[in-house]
Amino acid sequence: MTVYGIIMLCTFFMCLLFNPTSELPVVTFFGRIMVFTLIALLSLGVYYSKEELTVKAWWMRTVLHLLLLEAVLLPLAHCWGFWHSGTDILVYAGFILLAKALWHLADYSLNAKTAAQINERIRKNRLEKRA
Amino acid sequence: MKVTVEQIDREREEELIVRCHDPDASWVESVREAASGQRTVCCWREDMLRRLKLSEVFYFEVVDDRSFVYTQAEVFEAKEKLYEFERLCMGSALFRCSKSMILNAEKIDYVRPSLSGRFEAVLSNGEKVVVSRKYVADLKRLLGV
Repeated sequence: MTVYGIIMLCTFFMCLLFNPTSELPVVTFFGRIMVFTLIALLSLGVYYSKEELTVKAWWMRTVLHLLLLEAVLLPLAHCWGFWHSGTDILVYAGFILLAKALWHLADYSLNAKTAAQINERIRKNRLEKRA
Repeated sequence: MKVTVEQIDREREEELIVRCHDPDASWVESVREAASGQRTVCCWREDMLRRLKLSEVFYFEVVDDRSFVYTQAEVFEAKEKLYEFERLCMGSALFRCSKSMILNAEKIDYVRPSLSGRFEAVLSNGEKVVVSRKYVADLKRLLGV
């Protein structure tokens, strides 16, 4: 859902920037967004590992994931008429990068919230033990 | 349930008698464990065998099919596999925190998120270990979050 939301958000701003008056066939449009989402989710397979990933390995796979997303989504988006010129491709590639950054940021924010809950509980447990 | 505690002289041996309907009941098992002291794990270091209480263990880690037991300041080796440690730690404060590690929740000083989508737990001895997102739910349940 988060990936779908991020792609929708990026698509909205892309359309707002380059083609604010365009009219899209609803079913086709949403279907394509779903395909984008599915590709984005399937590509997360690059993070799969039997061993726990080190920080360095995680960064390498993150770069690989971004390259994979760009390599698959850019030609597909071109086929579906999401971008046409040389400038468009740069902006579209930038939006893919932005979407990935947003995904990690959203993930980090959720984890920060969970960490705060856990730390609060640890603090309370410690106080209870002392009492 | 009626609980009777009787104070005795130092010279007499301490004893616990459980009168119950079902000797296999979980609460009887808990009493048995408490009475027999804490669960322990047998490990060694430089040819010296040691029996460590689970409460002394900071974490278990398996690296290249070798199992290690980490305490406050020492590292021991053990024979058990990770799943055997998991079985041993059932019902205790130790939980699976990643693909190769079992961590003692009571030794966690605090946790912080990392960019890699995981958590970093800083232990009371200053060591930092990774807690996978997959196992954070177990930590939350253990702590009562």
